[in-house]
Amino acid sequence: MEARQYDRAVTATPAIETVGLCKTYGGKVRALVDLDLRVERGEVFGYLGPNGAGKSTTIRLLLDLIHPTEGRAALLGLETRSQGVEARRRVGYLPGDLRLPDRLTGAEFLGSLARLRGHVDEARRDEVSARLGAILDRPLRHLSKGNRQKIGLVQAFMHRPELVVLDEPTAGLDPLLQGEVRALMREVAAEGGTVFLSSHSLDEVQHTADRVGIIRSGRLVDVDSVAGLRSRSLRRVRVAFANGVPRERFDRIEGVRVVEEQASLVRLLAPETAMDGLVKTLAEHTIVDLVSEPADLEEIFLELYREADGAG
Amino acid sequence: MPVELAVGALRDSRRGIAAWCVGVAAYVAMVAAIYPSVETSPEFNELVERYPEVLKSLFGIVEGGDITSGPGFVDVELFSFMLPLLLLVLAIGYGARTLAGEEDAGRLELLLAYPLRRRASVVAKGAALAAQIAVVSVAGWATLLVIDPLVGLALDFGNLCAAFVGVAVLALFHGWLALGVGAAVPSRALAIAVPAGAAALGYLVNGLHDLAGWLAPFRFVSPFWLVGSSPLQTGIDAAGTLVVLAAAVVVLAGGALLLERRDLQTP
Ligand SMILES: Nc1ncnc2c1ncn2[C@@H]1O[C@H](COP(=O)(O)OP(=O)(O)O)[C@@H](O)[C@H]1O
Ligand SMILES: [Mg+2]
Repeated sequence: MEARQYDRAVTATPAIETVGLCKTYGGKVRALVDLDLRVERGEVFGYLGPNGAGKSTTIRLLLDLIHPTEGRAALLGLETRSQGVEARRRVGYLPGDLRLPDRLTGAEFLGSLARLRGHVDEARRDEVSARLGAILDRPLRHLSKGNRQKIGLVQAFMHRPELVVLDEPTAGLDPLLQGEVRALMREVAAEGGTVFLSSHSLDEVQHTADRVGIIRSGRLVDVDSVAGLRSRSLRRVRVAFANGVPRERFDRIEGVRVVEEQASLVRLLAPETAMDGLVKTLAEHTIVDLVSEPADLEEIFLELYREADGAG
Repeated sequence: MPVELAVGALRDSRRGIAAWCVGVAAYVAMVAAIYPSVETSPEFNELVERYPEVLKSLFGIVEGGDITSGPGFVDVELFSFMLPLLLLVLAIGYGARTLAGEEDAGRLELLLAYPLRRRASVVAKGAALAAQIAVVSVAGWATLLVIDPLVGLALDFGNLCAAFVGVAVLALFHGWLALGVGAAVPSRALAIAVPAGAAALGYLVNGLHDLAGWLAPFRFVSPFWLVGSSPLQTGIDAAGTLVVLAAAVVVLAGGALLLERRDLQTP
């Protein structure tokens, strides 16, 4: 048992490792700054950030489509710059802005991609196609955005890659299919594979990912498990006052933020650590009602964005 | 596997290639079919004699050459302008479309995320281009070969083969130049403009250096001059053709290496 664990520690290089990875476009746009990231094998990693945060830039660096200004990255223990071909053999990728040839049918296109890989398990290709309901017999230009996206997903999964990199994969898919894609990702992880999933919406990843990295303006703000994010114990507080909202600025209390203010009602976000100070301040006024409940993940997420904004 | 890239590219453009073959064969047949009426009309020679010197020079109408002879007629009517033009249009168009055009359209991102070396994909696309030029050239060559006995052109078989090798190499050079430029810089416009400009200059230098003496030193860099005009009357310049072929390899390889060093452009 101990020997086996030792073996694992030696042989199991991380699925993704970046060290001081930077990308500056045209000498000016600092799209990615000093990214240090480690994604382990067997996990689904959510890479979250608003539009323009640097998600696609990171992914293109990983696939060696663009070259880093500084730093390095490795996939499955293979350096992206010098061993990129070998790395990409074992990776499946869905671009964020998928463009497909017009004239080919889905089947022709997938066939040509499979031959480009040299080795594709046709049964697996058919299975994924069937599960996603991909339309294979019509020219790609006649397909809707969602149906083209399905073709893109099939090619990302069809060769049973050890690492699947998906750039905002469920854009344009209906909720039922989003569930199917989620199931595909969970299966890859269950079999020991790794999924790197970028998204601008927490909702998309919170039911899929084991861990989440949050990126903002090219900087990784935070990495935590989904459970860990939840346990940040951010409280959503609603206070109704008898004589209107007092002039007092509650956001002077460390960590507290005023979300909304009406005539006699205030909504606040506050971490548990700030609750004592908040309640003591509130107690100086006449209160009609006070509700405190755990914030949901989206609010925690937005709060993290805000903090990063303030810092940057 | 890069081979699949070349094969796939050919498979995707099979309809286009077929159309080019039909077009080139039809044009060649039409020109050849005119020959019997030219052969028997001395006015044609007189008409051509009255062409301005510039045109005669451009079309390779040489003093003492007989354009009412089969080889002379085919040289002037096909190989001095129209056939090279057609094949260059095919080659430059495809060379610019297959890489720079795909990148402009955002379709290169998925391809380059596959386990291929970038240089291998450039070479594969170059091979597909070479195959297209070869197929269309063979269509023209076979048409002339079949029609010759019917209209009495009396072409020399060796010169006929050499003539098509010559235009094919010219097309290959300019097509690979388009591919190489598109690999080096992500611009379809440049990938068309550079080889088209080079072709126009090379053609003019070759055609006019006799008339405008100051152009004469530049003839050595004109692929058209290196391959040689009037191939059916005098054959092609083997050494010059090899030089053009070598230059084609250099521009393709240069483009392939530059593609490896730059960022993919994404829309
Ligand atoms: N090729 C490029 N040239 C210049 N700026 C770019 C380029 N690609 C992306 N950017 C800029 O880099 C930043 C990050 O972009 P991107 O990685 O696409 O973000 P995301 O995928 O998170 O939306 C943005 O400000 C974007 O405008
Ligand atoms: Mg993006």
